[in-house]
Amino acid sequence: MADYEESFEGCTIEIIGDVDLSINGKEIDYQHDEGKNKFSSRYLPYTQYDSLLELARAIAKHTVEFSHVKD
Amino acid sequence: MAIRKDANILTAAERAEFVAAIQALKAEGIYDQFVLRHANASMGDIHRCSAFLPWHRRFIFDLELELQRVSGNPNLGIPYWNWPSGGANVSMWNDDLLGGNGDAGGVVRTGPFRSGQWTVINSSGLPAGPLMREFGQNGLPTLPTQAEINQVMAVTPYDVSPWNMNSNPSFRNQLEGWIGPNLHNRGHVWVGGSMLPMTSPNDPVFFMNHCMVDKIWHEWQLRFPNQSYLPANGGPFGQNLTDPMGSTPSGQIGARPIDVLDSAALGIVYDGAAPPPPPQPLLIVVGANPTQADIATPGETDVFRFDIPAFGPHTMITSGPSDTFMTLFGPNYPNVEVTSDDDAGENFNSQITRNLSAGTYYLRIRLYSPNTTGNYAVGVRSDGTAPSPISELIVGGASINATISAANESDVYRFNITTENIYTIETSGTTDTFMTLHGPNSQIPEIDRNDDGGVSFNALIRRQLSPGEYFARVRHYSSIGIGSYSIRIIQG
Repeated sequence: MADYEESFEGCTIEIIGDVDLSINGKEIDYQHDEGKNKFSSRYLPYTQYDSLLELARAIAKHTVEFSHVKD
Repeated sequence: MAIRKDANILTAAERAEFVAAIQALKAEGIYDQFVLRHANASMGDIHRCSAFLPWHRRFIFDLELELQRVSGNPNLGIPYWNWPSGGANVSMWNDDLLGGNGDAGGVVRTGPFRSGQWTVINSSGLPAGPLMREFGQNGLPTLPTQAEINQVMAVTPYDVSPWNMNSNPSFRNQLEGWIGPNLHNRGHVWVGGSMLPMTSPNDPVFFMNHCMVDKIWHEWQLRFPNQSYLPANGGPFGQNLTDPMGSTPSGQIGARPIDVLDSAALGIVYDGAAPPPPPQPLLIVVGANPTQADIATPGETDVFRFDIPAFGPHTMITSGPSDTFMTLFGPNYPNVEVTSDDDAGENFNSQITRNLSAGTYYLRIRLYSPNTTGNYAVGVRSDGTAPSPISELIVGGASINATISAANESDVYRFNITTENIYTIETSGTTDTFMTLHGPNSQIPEIDRNDDGGVSFNALIRRQLSPGEYFARVRHYSSIGIGSYSIRIIQG
């Protein structure tokens, strides 16, 4: 079990013990399809990702709750 | 009536009307209410579930009513995004309709929904920046082709347990995009940006994407009128046919899947929506050498047809290196399922052996895994010209338990009468049986028939019989009905 933290697209992604995901301190619920070893979340309802970190980066980049795009 | 047209064939006036109506709803705050209705719905209520299609049908129907209200045009329909002809360079992305792709940073800078003119909201309803698009930049560079749509259009049933993203075979799951060629999800992912999260209705193309999804479901319903919405019951609450769907307000129409199954009844008309002809099944000659075939695309289903001239035992079998899954339909109805099999044949091949009554049958063959391809051979053989031996009923003896397991199937029983007397032949059980009596000493002359003379919907024939051999034939009252029953003969 390992902990991981990085800054991505202006967000702080934290994975505790390989399983507990948070972005900017907010806990993120996700689903792990063990059969396919894919990760998904209600934040991005149309896609699955190969790793928890890929999912976290996608949430940080694409959801308006976390992205930092301005006019 | 809502007339829904291909977004790429709208006239300039139609484009202007649609854009103006969307902008008017945005100004009223109504448009953002639709964004929030989708964004704050429970995931399991609207995606990766059976209600995915009826929920979104009701959702876009409700927006359409609002568009009609603000435009004053009762026939205004949401245009559909015809994916096979909807790539990045087509007219729906022009400045007079949706505007184009995002810039290097993903920000949409063209068209009526460009930065400065259109602000997206987050799931709390707060402004969250400009509309974003990144065509083909999120791992899915191409849109669904017509061949891929046709492939999904051939899939039945509507859905299967576990009623989620692992359901297979499932038309709903293939159309949603978790198995097979990926249709709906690909529309979202191909556009990217604002179309990726639960707030995806922020981009008006969301509604065109779902209008295309709804059109495909509508055409599938026309093609397979005997394939109903599933689950009828027994699924998660909110997913069954008569459950209220989650995150669906009361409105002009009901909030249950059953309330939205009929597009025509909702006043929805698609231009050029005549369903494409179903794929012609390949003919298998009974007793001929096996037909070579292959599943070239993951999730593909092959369809075969064969004719049975007379009742008798038959075997349908695949051979080869692939793990096949076979489903038998008929007689004469390509969507009435008889039975299915996975591994009854050698290795991982399918095999079905059963009595078949005369008629045309259909075999649908796919690979057990929806993610693989492979070749196989399929054949049908007759297991003898004579049908299975006729079961014998003993006067006053034990009942015989039997099953009508296929459409149009009938069971024949023989019995001997040695003393002239009154006899009663009757079925019991929950199946609606129909019985004819033939004889003496021949199966040809019919001397009596009955539908519901017994208990409940059971058949019963009571009559004087002279000595001789007689035959009772039992079938389901409905030509497509199946079910178990018992039969006996007693004196008196």
